[in-house]
Amino acid sequence: PVTAGSIVVPFGHVIGNEKWRGSEVAQRLQGKVRLIFEDGLGLVDFHLSNRTCILLISEADLVAGDEYKRRLVRFRNASSLRGIVIVEKTQISNQYYSGVQKLVVLELGMVLLPVANQGEASQLIIQLVSFCVREQSRDRGANPFLRKQRAQPAEAAVLQAVQHIPGVGKTKALLLLQQFGSIHRLCNASTSELEQVVGQTVAQQVYTF
Amino acid sequence: PRVPAEHSPSLAGLPRVPAERGPSPCILADSREISSGPGVISCLRAVHGLRVQVCSLGSSDYIVSSRLAVDRLLQSELQSPGNRNKLSQRLQRLRGAFERICVIVETDRARPGETSRLFQRTQCYDGVLSALVQAGIRILFSSCQEESAALLKDLALLEHRKDAAIQLPPEPQGHRRDVLGFYLSIPNLSYGAALNLCHSFGSITAVANSSVPALAAGARLSRPQAEELHRFLRHDFDLQLLPQPLPAKGKS
Repeated sequence: PVTAGSIVVPFGHVIGNEKWRGSEVAQRLQGKVRLIFEDGLGLVDFHLSNRTCILLISEADLVAGDEYKRRLVRFRNASSLRGIVIVEKTQISNQYYSGVQKLVVLELGMVLLPVANQGEASQLIIQLVSFCVREQSRDRGANPFLRKQRAQPAEAAVLQAVQHIPGVGKTKALLLLQQFGSIHRLCNASTSELEQVVGQTVAQQVYTF
Repeated sequence: PRVPAEHSPSLAGLPRVPAERGPSPCILADSREISSGPGVISCLRAVHGLRVQVCSLGSSDYIVSSRLAVDRLLQSELQSPGNRNKLSQRLQRLRGAFERICVIVETDRARPGETSRLFQRTQCYDGVLSALVQAGIRILFSSCQEESAALLKDLALLEHRKDAAIQLPPEPQGHRRDVLGFYLSIPNLSYGAALNLCHSFGSITAVANSSVPALAAGARLSRPQAEELHRFLRHDFDLQLLPQPLPAKGKS
């Protein structure tokens, strides 16, 4: 059954595909996250939230052939969920990695994360879950990469930019800005208007720039 | 110059440049990468036949298209919490200027005489990866500088196909160089966008008089970025708001 639709994940829970019951990943997850098994998840291995799910590709899948590629493409076509692909990158499957990466990241536009074994996969899933939980609780400030930079007053930057005009240093930049107010008006000033602020030569330079 | 892959045995396994029409895409590399990633730059040039322009980007390690910046990180940099702050500041700055960000996580080179260190996956490492995923930053993994170069090439070709390639020439001369310097001083404007402004508009006055949609089209900026640029150009200067008091003019 090719299902990859969204399902409702209770807050702070992970829904796992029945086929992982008793596996090393599941055992290590238990106790750390609230794991529920469900039948009929189809292509998906774990649902972390209503929007995010995980597809696990094992070393054996990689060696076995292209079946996993069909699975990924089917998922991509069938689902609007954000799919995170976790792949077992071992000494044996290492040679296939760059091919997988090209397909998953560059062609399908999904996320691909390599792990060395199922133990590492469970550690990674725990971290991913904690970020999903924070996202759902709208605590987005917790993510250091999403935090907005403090907006700086544009004054200093405008002053800097004007000083890139040949012949204009800090003093003249200040005078020009006090007179014309913005870069837009400075650009549209005539030579004679400029001459009232700076000398003839510089006025010409500013005008031609 | 295109060197056939057979001539460099260590790189023989890498895919060759596909025969394409038109000029090959150009990649801008930050000048620091000459020392930290010489293998990447030379591989991009020699094996993949791309134009690599080294300039002082400051913000990111590589710029692959007018909207995509690429940072090359070593696996060990993600391992310890100490780097986390620095990394997040760096990526925040990139987010201001670029629509898309990609990081290449590269396996550290084993130093001569060193038996291959076992990579110990830390909780911090997984945490950083999760945060990157959540922030919508694309992550690629590479085992060496040559592979990073191949990934950069793939990204450049992809962006080239999507018509977002960097406009040429990447380093204008004479008067245009000064104009580029002016654009680069505008906050949150990437090198690629500044180049686009240089190429698409005849003068700064033309830029200053442009509407938001015209700016977005000419510099290939997203709508919010174009709005920010538009606001900046029309920003009313207020001396009172300058961050620090100006030093008294002259020495008298």
